[in-house]
Amino acid sequence: MFRFIVKRLLEIVPILLIVSILIFLFVHMIPGDPARLVAGEDATLADVEMVRKELGLDKPIVEQYGTYMKNLFKGDMGNSLKTNRPVSEEIGERFMPTFWLTVWSMLWAVVVGLLIGVISATKRNKWQDYLGMFGAVSGLSLPSFWLGLMLIQLFAVTLGWLPTGGMESWKSYILPAFTLGTGVAAVVARFTRSSLMDVLKEDYIRTGRSKGLSERNVTWGHGLRNAMIPVVTMTGLQFGFLLGGSVVIETVFSWPGLGKLLIDSVAYRDYPVIQAEMMIFALEFIVINLIVDLLYGILNPQIRYE
Amino acid sequence: MKKAYGLISLLALMMLLVLAGCSSDSKEGSKDASKEDGKPAEKEGKDIVIAVADNFTGMDPHDTNDTLSGSAQKAMLEGLVGFDKDMNVIPLLAEEYSANAEATEFTFKLRENVKFHDGTPFNAEAVKVNFDRLSDPNSGLKRHSLYALIETTEVVNEYEVKFTLSEPFGAMINTFAHPAGLMHSPKALEEFGKEVARNPVGTGAFKFVEWKPSEGLKIEKNEEYWNAGFPKVDSITFKPVSENGSRIAMLQTGEADFIYPVPTEQVEGINGKNGIEVESKPSIVVRYMSMNTLKEPYDDIKVRQALNYAINKEAFVKVVMNDQGTVLDSIIAPDVQFYSKQEPYAFDLEKAQGLLKEAGVEKGFKAKLWGGNSSGAIKAMEFLQQQLAQVGIEVEVVPMESGTISDKIWSVQNPDDAELELYYGGWSPSTGDADWGIRPLVGGKDAFPPKSYNVSYYDNSEVDQLILDGLQTADLDKRAKAYEDAQKTIWNDAPWVFLSADNTLAGKKNYLKGIYLLPDGSLSVSDIEIEE
Repeated sequence: MFRFIVKRLLEIVPILLIVSILIFLFVHMIPGDPARLVAGEDATLADVEMVRKELGLDKPIVEQYGTYMKNLFKGDMGNSLKTNRPVSEEIGERFMPTFWLTVWSMLWAVVVGLLIGVISATKRNKWQDYLGMFGAVSGLSLPSFWLGLMLIQLFAVTLGWLPTGGMESWKSYILPAFTLGTGVAAVVARFTRSSLMDVLKEDYIRTGRSKGLSERNVTWGHGLRNAMIPVVTMTGLQFGFLLGGSVVIETVFSWPGLGKLLIDSVAYRDYPVIQAEMMIFALEFIVINLIVDLLYGILNPQIRYE
Repeated sequence: MKKAYGLISLLALMMLLVLAGCSSDSKEGSKDASKEDGKPAEKEGKDIVIAVADNFTGMDPHDTNDTLSGSAQKAMLEGLVGFDKDMNVIPLLAEEYSANAEATEFTFKLRENVKFHDGTPFNAEAVKVNFDRLSDPNSGLKRHSLYALIETTEVVNEYEVKFTLSEPFGAMINTFAHPAGLMHSPKALEEFGKEVARNPVGTGAFKFVEWKPSEGLKIEKNEEYWNAGFPKVDSITFKPVSENGSRIAMLQTGEADFIYPVPTEQVEGINGKNGIEVESKPSIVVRYMSMNTLKEPYDDIKVRQALNYAINKEAFVKVVMNDQGTVLDSIIAPDVQFYSKQEPYAFDLEKAQGLLKEAGVEKGFKAKLWGGNSSGAIKAMEFLQQQLAQVGIEVEVVPMESGTISDKIWSVQNPDDAELELYYGGWSPSTGDADWGIRPLVGGKDAFPPKSYNVSYYDNSEVDQLILDGLQTADLDKRAKAYEDAQKTIWNDAPWVFLSADNTLAGKKNYLKGIYLLPDGSLSVSDIEIEE
């Protein structure tokens, strides 16, 4: 397993290199002249040209990539075109808010989602199942944007219990984490239900039951463990997406996170920030994938790493 | 049966949730009548929170170009002169100023006993350091072009400073009043260099505390402010909140004391409730539809005038602007210096059709209308599409993202290559002077893209001469005459369909006084106070 982890970690380097080239090309292909956007709305041509030179955008793209990579190896991701602050600072400031929001959202979503999924699967076609699945479908179909604004109206404006947004105290986490997790909880519930129902039909479950195992032991001990593999895969993916920053939620709740930053930087053609953010998202996905693969082994010891 | 009950009760629960969310305004009103009748809402402490729509880009006025950042900078840094509520130039760090007749020399007498926040004295030397930085072409500053004409800045004596320009520029006083002319402490400039953008030190009413782009900016009271009795609050925190609904919720809960902007369609819903007042004031932002005068059929003045008659501008203000604006009656708005009112093109479809007939296009034609992709711009363009259909002009609306606009409109090198036909746009002359409202937009070949913003490719030598006349003198009467004639000619030539001037919209708790938006959309917070 140790060798497996080291091997997977080493693989990250070439992947990131390829990703960096793709991202660089992609970012420079977005229509729009960053020099003009940076120079501002009523800038003259002279201003625009000055900014272009200042940013090194007048150089050939290969040379720009070379400079970018050279600086990257020195740990310098450049400066934001918009605020002129180092990109590492811009991103560093926003990484933890997004990270913690994601963790809290995932935590409640997975717990609640699993619970609903298991209940639905074991009480198949009973009212508990219908209620659970109705909730899951609603959770999936409510636009998070709408849900967020509704929650603000109810809990912040009308009741005055929670803040409307920002990131001041633990209270600030409740509404955005709830909104962000709703969709995930719904997906987890549905995946768990169908996966567990499949597993409960398997022969070894029947064997277990005939051996006199309690229904609780069969479901939670044997069934759920095996049903978890697709759920873990899907949860890992969701986690990756959320870590990428949920733009809508961060906008509605004025959350100082990565999603909002990405949208702002794309609108501004803030090349260095877009590049750095996309690299981080790529890295996050790779790491989460690795964790998911490791979890498979814990869930099912028959899975061997090579 | 059981499952049906489950479903019904769940549905009922959800309906309740939705209703609770929707009806909060009315409930709030009936619960506490005092909140509805305009009595001051309550405020504890003297720390103000202002929610704005975007992040600031930097705190160096010499190197930023967005109005929003300018608003925060103005609270900490001051210029020689500034603007009052109506965009008139007023003395600030200079007590008096004068200019020679040719508008090439400008002398300022400075206010004495003023100190920067770091203790550095404010004097002629400090002014020189700032304007030497701004006028240096190698500075790499975004605002250099505004002050590129300054050839020398001389220290006459400790409290007098003289600027000499390389050529006459009659609009210079307004340029000095522009937020880009705010002054840093010379010591801070030396210490921080370009990093003053994150460490602003000025002479203003408030001192810099902290700025995190994602979370906001905090400034605090300058106890030694030269204007005795001000500021009257302890601190101000600016928070970026881009979602309109969230900004409004913050004002309703009292998490924010002031928000800006308020979307036009939400004004009715919040004004007068929860101790909230919405202030709507005329701005100098103009909305227009330009026509490419190099292209058929827009090269014909009759067609351009016809389009002006074909569009009901009152309806435009009502429908598109939700009544938060006025019909435009010149190329510049009334609060711009040297504005001169013109006779509006009335809404007259018959006249429009007659003119189109005279131009030989009575059967109408197809047109492409380009513009931004914000919901407001799209709404405006669809309105124009519907109006022009009445005279047989079939308009295709093409909303574009800002980067695409910059490629397809502002970066076109050769005017003949411009694909642009009709463009829906807006402009705010940030110096508040007619020059910056006219020259970049219709100032002949010198203003064609990519150099500037003349998207109608309007080129009239008479107007060019008048623009020049207006710039070559500091004599206010002569300047006024030149711009009056220019506005008349441009109005008649109709390179645009002149649509409307926006209102600025801000929401505040009714205990706040002294805070206001200038017609250029920038915010003034130095005189802010809380009514007891």
